[in-house]
Amino acid sequence: MKNESNTSLANVKRKKTAVAAGVFLLPAFLLIAIYFIYPIIDTFVISAYKWNGISSARTFVGLENWKTLIHDKNFWDAFEHNIIIMVFSIMLQIPIGMLLATFLDAGGKKFNAFKIIWFLPYLMSSVAIAFLFTYALATNGGIFSSLASIIKGTKVTIDLLGRSPHALFAVIGVMAWQYTPFYMVYFMAGYGNIDTTIYEAAIIDGATRGQYVRLIAIPLLGPIFKTACTMSLIGSLKYFDLIWNLTQGGPVNSTELMATYMYKLSFQQFNMGYGSCVAAGMFILITVIALLFQKVFVVKEDY
Amino acid sequence: MQTKTVDYKKEKRKSVIAWTIAIIMACFWLVLTLTPFVFMVLNSFRKQFDMLQQGVFHLPDPWYFLNYVEVVTHGFFGYFFRSVIVVAISLVLMLLISAFAAYPLARMKFRFRGIIYAGIVALMSVPMHVTLIPVFKLTTDMGLYDNLFSLIGPYVTFALPMSVFILTAFMMTIPKELEESAEIDGCGRFRNFFSIILPLSKPGLSTLAIYNGVATWNEFAFANTLLQTASHKTLPLALGQFKGEHALDIPIILAVLTLSVLPMIILFIVFQDKLVKGMMAGAVKG
Amino acid sequence: MKNRILAVLSVAVLTVTTLVGCGSSASIDSAEVPATGPDESTTGKQTDGKNLPELTTEEMTITLWDIATEEPGRPTQEAAVARFMKDYPNIHVEQVHQQNDNYKQQLVVAMSSGQCPDMYVSWGGGPMAEYYKSGFADDITDLYNKYDHPDFIDAAIAQGSYKDKILGIPFGSLSGCDIFYNKTIFKDLGLEVPETIDELEDVCAKLKENGITPFALANSAKWTGSMYYMYLVARHSGNDEFDAAYTQEGSFGSEAFLFASDKIQDWVKKGYFPDGVNSLSPDDGQDKQLLYDGSCAMMLHGSWMAGSMSSDNAEWYQENIGVFRFPEDSEAKAKGVPQDVEIGTAIGNCFNFNSKGDQAKLEAMYVLATQYYNDDTYNQMQMDSFQTPSIKGFENQVTDPNMKIITDVFFQASNVQLWYDQYLPASVTEVHKNSMSALFGLEKNGAEIGADQDAAMKAAIEEQ
Repeated sequence: MKNESNTSLANVKRKKTAVAAGVFLLPAFLLIAIYFIYPIIDTFVISAYKWNGISSARTFVGLENWKTLIHDKNFWDAFEHNIIIMVFSIMLQIPIGMLLATFLDAGGKKFNAFKIIWFLPYLMSSVAIAFLFTYALATNGGIFSSLASIIKGTKVTIDLLGRSPHALFAVIGVMAWQYTPFYMVYFMAGYGNIDTTIYEAAIIDGATRGQYVRLIAIPLLGPIFKTACTMSLIGSLKYFDLIWNLTQGGPVNSTELMATYMYKLSFQQFNMGYGSCVAAGMFILITVIALLFQKVFVVKEDY
Repeated sequence: MQTKTVDYKKEKRKSVIAWTIAIIMACFWLVLTLTPFVFMVLNSFRKQFDMLQQGVFHLPDPWYFLNYVEVVTHGFFGYFFRSVIVVAISLVLMLLISAFAAYPLARMKFRFRGIIYAGIVALMSVPMHVTLIPVFKLTTDMGLYDNLFSLIGPYVTFALPMSVFILTAFMMTIPKELEESAEIDGCGRFRNFFSIILPLSKPGLSTLAIYNGVATWNEFAFANTLLQTASHKTLPLALGQFKGEHALDIPIILAVLTLSVLPMIILFIVFQDKLVKGMMAGAVKG
Repeated sequence: MKNRILAVLSVAVLTVTTLVGCGSSASIDSAEVPATGPDESTTGKQTDGKNLPELTTEEMTITLWDIATEEPGRPTQEAAVARFMKDYPNIHVEQVHQQNDNYKQQLVVAMSSGQCPDMYVSWGGGPMAEYYKSGFADDITDLYNKYDHPDFIDAAIAQGSYKDKILGIPFGSLSGCDIFYNKTIFKDLGLEVPETIDELEDVCAKLKENGITPFALANSAKWTGSMYYMYLVARHSGNDEFDAAYTQEGSFGSEAFLFASDKIQDWVKKGYFPDGVNSLSPDDGQDKQLLYDGSCAMMLHGSWMAGSMSSDNAEWYQENIGVFRFPEDSEAKAKGVPQDVEIGTAIGNCFNFNSKGDQAKLEAMYVLATQYYNDDTYNQMQMDSFQTPSIKGFENQVTDPNMKIITDVFFQASNVQLWYDQYLPASVTEVHKNSMSALFGLEKNGAEIGADQDAAMKAAIEEQ
């Protein structure tokens, strides 16, 4: 008897929780239903058509586009570029961002100037970044070519954006430069979220700063790390902006990404049907990778 | 404890070396982040011809200030204020709504939690360009085409998945005990949310404000698609006035970009304090 | 062969029209007289006395999309619309300036949502054909034949046509493509303007000996490198081989294409193009830069470069920059291949119309495009900014010496070949552009890029 009333009490509590959760989630759900659901369904529907994107006539082709996609070398090359960018973005942006944040957290107010200047790249628009890096990476008067020439004593040309494998890595470098400041701020907020008494207790116990970071802060920042990695992962898989301004996917597709490929097909080559298929494929791939990542990196969820 | 005292000197020396290395690396990173910015600003004080002839990484010679006059006389402040309005409204809405949504995901146990969470991740994966046509259709159907406020819906919505995702992670790090004690006190979920969770999420919220604020401030694609009259356009579209099919005045464009980044820098300087302030500052009192 | 935009511009026709002077709209009435009379609905219009459709007196709104976001294009085009609305106060023209970079995307978005503007700018070529086939571009052949219009050059009308149907009214300017060169460097080194490709190569060799890179090329946009390719093909075979490749009766791997590819790669190897040519960006002015700072001596580019350089620094431009037409291929000439094919565009932009069957609206738009755009005031404003209207007779009014040469070369051309990247179907364009970076990057040879382009062209023909 006692047990039963307990479960019913638990049931009531669970129901109440569900209702409360629903109420909190409702505004977000509404907006998502208006602006997200239709585009997603629409994309999948269009992917079953051969359509130039503007005509009122479209031809139903079933899975034809999907069959093409599976064998489309351009798409899988682009996917590979995305994966390379993803790996390097996570390897560069997150650790550097973490280091910078740790430095600032340790230094406190005296390092405000560092903080503000380090943050500048994130504030610059992709247009300005693309312009400046086009010149900075240029063979003629660019920073790298000039430096190499000074070091070697003769004129050296370092062609970073114009050749096949280099271009992708040049872009990765620029991306890291642009986005690291965000992760810096993000981890600073993470540090800010740690109870200051924990730090004080650790120091009283004789821990050094390094030990505090390694043994206490980083484990506490677990969920923050995981989300940062997820953000970087998804961000690099659907990346568009800077590439579009810097290389437009060139030279010879060597920096083509899924998103730029999709954009060209849909809006420039009158191939909306297949473009939508690429978009849908991209959506599926990114979601699967992101969810796998969520599963693989289990962090202790404290509640 | 004993070894600590013995190693005290060694520790100290180690720490000095560590700090020296850290400062050197910090300065290196400083140069790396500052240089492009400085050249953006410097080049905005030149004529295009001088810039091209002397090279982009050259000091202005002579200094040329009329680019800024040109920018300001081409309706810069109009673009600017419209952007301020859109970004401000969008930010408030998106922070509030995503905090609402993140709260149950982070701190309640209910049936579809896992699925909803996965759904949020899936929504983050939607490539932005597939939404252009549907959002355009929707906006014209609602009669909001060429209306500044048509941007708010898409801006808020497309920032939601990422924001909910981040905030959920932040709210998870808030110690469970704080909330429970509140519940025992008789607070309802809502009071709990407003009086404890929301204030404690300040670092998360301010990160989001920065992330979404910058993104919205620079947003081009939706603004370009949904607005058409010059007097309704936002700041990122102001560049178009100096950029044609075959004409491009780079220094003026850099002047526009410099002017548009300034307020963001000022805001960051003013509010960056909020980022590092420990959460307990507000929580213990509350 | 039907869907070609190539046009034959006969010199004979030209000499006649140059005597006549300007075309119909340009000469007859300089109707800048302000409309003052009380009954201004019947008098004082600049279109009075012309053979034009009677326009509606009812209220009407026309949505117009252009890409005139910047000066001087914006004021020029806004003024044309303003003159029209003054003469026809019942017709309201809603003029929307779209940004060029995203313009094609904007059109796709609007058209697919049923919000296509009533009239909009296009460049002719492949995309215009697509708009027509999807029902967004009206056939205006009848209107054009029935009513007055400026005496456009034949190539301009041909470029605004698809399968012999006139779809577009030109309002931009003709853009040839020629070699700008640094007069000062040429004089200092005692170099002559080359007449043949062999002479051009001698010039290049001399420049190279003196530590100057011959060509300022920024090929990250790919259509810039394509100019060299297109010209070498055209000098070696006229239009024949390209036309054959276009229908795939021939091939992009045929002799002239191989000749062009080999020449280019030979020049790349000899260092006639700047290092890292594929990474340099014309949008960011890196080709002009090489000319300005004296590291390069020549630049094959569209004629808009004259205006662009002049607005950067008029004094420097006049002092240092000259222009010559792309040299001849003497061997091909001996075989009778025409050496006066021009690469470029005869119209720059044209207006397409989407009246959705509303004849009154179509007529109003026709009058706006032919009589207010393209009128004296408009053309003068165009000329003032280094733009030559695509109207017969204007070649005689050009004053800038370089523009004079460019315009003359253009008008004397036997044929105007539209840029491949605008002429080819959109899917082939992408392959062609990539071929250009592979070519200049020495990643693929002529036969390989020929095969790539053939495959894309075949696929595009099948799609038709």
